[in-house]
Amino acid sequence: MSDAAFREEVVRLAGDEIRTCIQCGTCSSSCSTAHLMDNSIRKLIRLVLEGRRREALASESIWLCTSCLLCTVRCPRGIRPKAVVSALRQICEREGISSRDASFERIFMDQIRSKGRISEVLLSAAYALRNPDAAVPIMEMGIELLSRGKVSLDPGTVKGMDEIERIFRELGND
Amino acid sequence: MRIGVYICHCGLNIAATLDVEELRRFAETLPNVVVARDIQFTCSDAGQNTIKSDIAELKLDAVVVAACSPRLHEPTFRRTITEAGLNQYMLEMANIREQCSWVHMDSPALATQKAKDLIAMAVAKAALLRPLETESVPVSRDVLVIGGGVAGISAALDLANAGLRVYLVERRPTIGGYMALLTDVFPTNDCSICVLAPKMAEVYANPMIKLMTYSEILAIEGTVGHFRVTGVTKPRYVDPTLCKGCINECSGACPVEVPNEYDFGLGKRKAIYMAIPQSVPLVACIDTDACIGCGLCAEACPADAVKYDQQSEEFKLDVGAIIVATGWQPFDASRKEEYGFGRYRDVVTTLQIERMLNAAGPTRGEIVRPSTGEIARSIAFIQCVGSRDHTVGNPYCSRICCMASLKNAQLIKERYPDADVAIHYIDIRAGGEGYEEFYLRAQRLGINFIRGRVSSVEEGDDGLYVHYEDTLLGKTLMKRYDLVVLSIGLEANRDAEVVGNLLGLSRRPDRFFEIAHPKMRPVEAHIDGVFIAGCASGPKEIQVSIAQGSAAASKAMQLLFKGEIELDPTVAFVDREKCIGCKLCVDTCPSRAISVKDTAFVDEARCKGCGTCAAACPVDAIEMRLFSDEQILAQIRAATAVKGEYPFIVGFLCNWCSYAGADLAGTSRIQYPTNIRIIRVMCAGRVDPSFVLEAFRRGADGVLVAGCRIGECHYVSGNLHALQRVEVLRGLLREIGIDPRRLKVAWCAASEGDVLARKIQEFVEELRDLGPVGTELAAALPSGKV
Ligand code: SF4
Ligand code: SF4
Ligand code: SF4
Ligand code: SF4
Repeated sequence: MSDAAFREEVVRLAGDEIRTCIQCGTCSSSCSTAHLMDNSIRKLIRLVLEGRRREALASESIWLCTSCLLCTVRCPRGIRPKAVVSALRQICEREGISSRDASFERIFMDQIRSKGRISEVLLSAAYALRNPDAAVPIMEMGIELLSRGKVSLDPGTVKGMDEIERIFRELGND
Repeated sequence: MRIGVYICHCGLNIAATLDVEELRRFAETLPNVVVARDIQFTCSDAGQNTIKSDIAELKLDAVVVAACSPRLHEPTFRRTITEAGLNQYMLEMANIREQCSWVHMDSPALATQKAKDLIAMAVAKAALLRPLETESVPVSRDVLVIGGGVAGISAALDLANAGLRVYLVERRPTIGGYMALLTDVFPTNDCSICVLAPKMAEVYANPMIKLMTYSEILAIEGTVGHFRVTGVTKPRYVDPTLCKGCINECSGACPVEVPNEYDFGLGKRKAIYMAIPQSVPLVACIDTDACIGCGLCAEACPADAVKYDQQSEEFKLDVGAIIVATGWQPFDASRKEEYGFGRYRDVVTTLQIERMLNAAGPTRGEIVRPSTGEIARSIAFIQCVGSRDHTVGNPYCSRICCMASLKNAQLIKERYPDADVAIHYIDIRAGGEGYEEFYLRAQRLGINFIRGRVSSVEEGDDGLYVHYEDTLLGKTLMKRYDLVVLSIGLEANRDAEVVGNLLGLSRRPDRFFEIAHPKMRPVEAHIDGVFIAGCASGPKEIQVSIAQGSAAASKAMQLLFKGEIELDPTVAFVDREKCIGCKLCVDTCPSRAISVKDTAFVDEARCKGCGTCAAACPVDAIEMRLFSDEQILAQIRAATAVKGEYPFIVGFLCNWCSYAGADLAGTSRIQYPTNIRIIRVMCAGRVDPSFVLEAFRRGADGVLVAGCRIGECHYVSGNLHALQRVEVLRGLLREIGIDPRRLKVAWCAASEGDVLARKIQEFVEELRDLGPVGTELAAALPSGKV
């Protein structure tokens, strides 16, 4: 796909308004995961408009968006930055580009499959092992939360694990 | 009817392409023509004298000049025939230069045939011309100025100094508007009230100005020259002739304190108060919402000025013109919840910081944190609050807030050199004389410019936290400040809507009043005799508001100075026998000239003669005095009498854009096919369905309706009506078996001669593909029946 075609596809998927972005940064500074992103959501839009396909698609930010929609609520131009993320995810999926953080999803799923729920502590720990640069802040927060009894080490197992297993099978996920 | 026809050579401009002698001979054969001459230069003195002597000797009733565009020399020849004793409207021009010799240089024979048609059309119309009298009506030379802000003050003073009587009506107890509340003003940093107060005093002292404060307009009737205005002056409960303005006596005694709206809630005032120390008039006022009726102020007043039984007083004015200077209102910052205004005490607005910086304001010029009363050491300005923001419905830039923050940041930095002052901006808009230099000065003073719009403000234990992305660094950050100033935008004044509705002013999508032309007529409303100055038509700086006040005043002077105005007789009128009172015309009229009481009535002072109503009337009850139905139908019949070409097109072109565009094609010598015969109408909205149908009935292969580009109609919305009508007509054509593609619309600006020429070229080709009119009929019917 050419760079121009890439831009046009994102514009089509995310809405024509994105052409009117004034790069004000309201979206990025509203974003709950901005501090973890390599390219802020604002910059992502710039990359798209510049047709910088490779950079845009390689951006980890695409996978860090939590869909909180604050960007979309606040953008003064009525742009939906979240829709840009969705568009990029869609294109990535089609082109078989996956995130470094696919590991996170895998750990997440494994825990659900074995216990029916997730343990924040174990999940974070497993994730931190694979992503050392994210580990420090996660550990700091974890210790704080543990000490206040906000999280526990063993979440226990939910009832009806067979149901969970069935869901996984039906989704074709053995 | 005795008609003289004069065919101009225009040197070789016409004669080189057209066979002038043949045209002359042809003209002689036309009905009603008693003389036809060809003249070297008809507009020369010699040419004009020939026409004049013919009028006298041959007793001509009407004159046809076949020459250049009527947009060029119609006024000349109108004068010529008036001098010879004819009514000026007994003239018709055939545009054989711009529409013929200059655009068909390569086809002299076809061009000559077209010129014959144009002359025949002009003669046919001339035979139906009627003398029209220009009526002069006396007008009131008084002017009403609504709004006593700086724009209204400037208008009132200019008018009064020129000798016109002015009524200046202000809603608040004092004039001066927002300017009276500001501290120093950009880009010179001079003290706002110091430069304004003398003007306010001048208004008060000028015998030609009747100042009516604390007053509102209730009704406006009538039209240009005679607006009948009703208003009311609210009771202040203080006798203005007795009050000495000492204020400390009465307000000192008053036990009630309320937030002071003139300090935007920062300070307090009493129930009996003076808006600002420089109030004009300098008369106290009792706020009845706050007053508890204790009577202490009346006892305290040494002049016995407090009168609890004062009544509101109605007034009636008869004015010739109205200047609307109703100003703006500040954006309500609490609507941007994420910035915490109204929740966090240390988040303030531009207007509040103006009051703080003002030596006469609630903090005596000190910049304090309202929560603690301590001096603020770090201050953030947040730009574009309520401007350039779709989420609050204000997509426009408020124009002045960048400069206002630059100015306030400088004032703070000058007073507190150690303060940390930052401006969070998207773009700094400093386009004006001395503005960029002002920006430079702010940078030199060490003000921190942070590029990125603030997403939210949070209150912490020790101050306010501002979240933003520094988009130049590409970092999302958070910064602590003592004080946050929201640079609020300007909105259309909601209180002015009443006046707008009474006058029938239109509004732009941004809700400000719309001016007659966004570039060329900056202070005129669409309604004759009504002018708009200052922020009523959009955010403006002080200097522009003043200039607009003066401009509006000078427009009003031009209108009223003579004490009478000439009414253009080329207006619409209603045949009351025919009118069925359906009111369809009322809304089509862009000038709001039509009212219906049983039958419709056209206010000739308001009507601008576009003819949209005449085309809209379902029973043809509205007629135009010039460009009448019968005149235009006669032109259509004359045009189609010979049909010397295929495809044959009849075109209706509006005077202001498309006809002017055709003229430009001529002067630019852009060549296009000879197939079109153009009929000039004032507005595309004038084109009555019956004109189009008549053209087809008489065998035209195509009809072109052309007007100004959408949004640029000289009469605001005439072309939209035209478009609507064309859509309906196309349906009708389909019904009766005529291919709807034979009816074409084109929008072009006066500067787009090439566009018009191209449209005509395309239309000719399209019609060639369609075949002669009636082809589709023949195809639809079983063979042998045609
Ligand atoms: S908030 Fe909207 S306009 Fe501003 S940078 Fe983000 S997408 Fe662009
Ligand atoms: S009467 Fe009203 S205005 Fe006068 S002193 Fe009392 S409260 Fe104040
Ligand atoms: S003038 Fe400046 S602050 Fe005001 S709306 Fe325009 S860009 Fe924003
Ligand atoms: S629609 Fe045009 S012609 Fe008719 S009354 Fe209004 S301004 Fe006059």
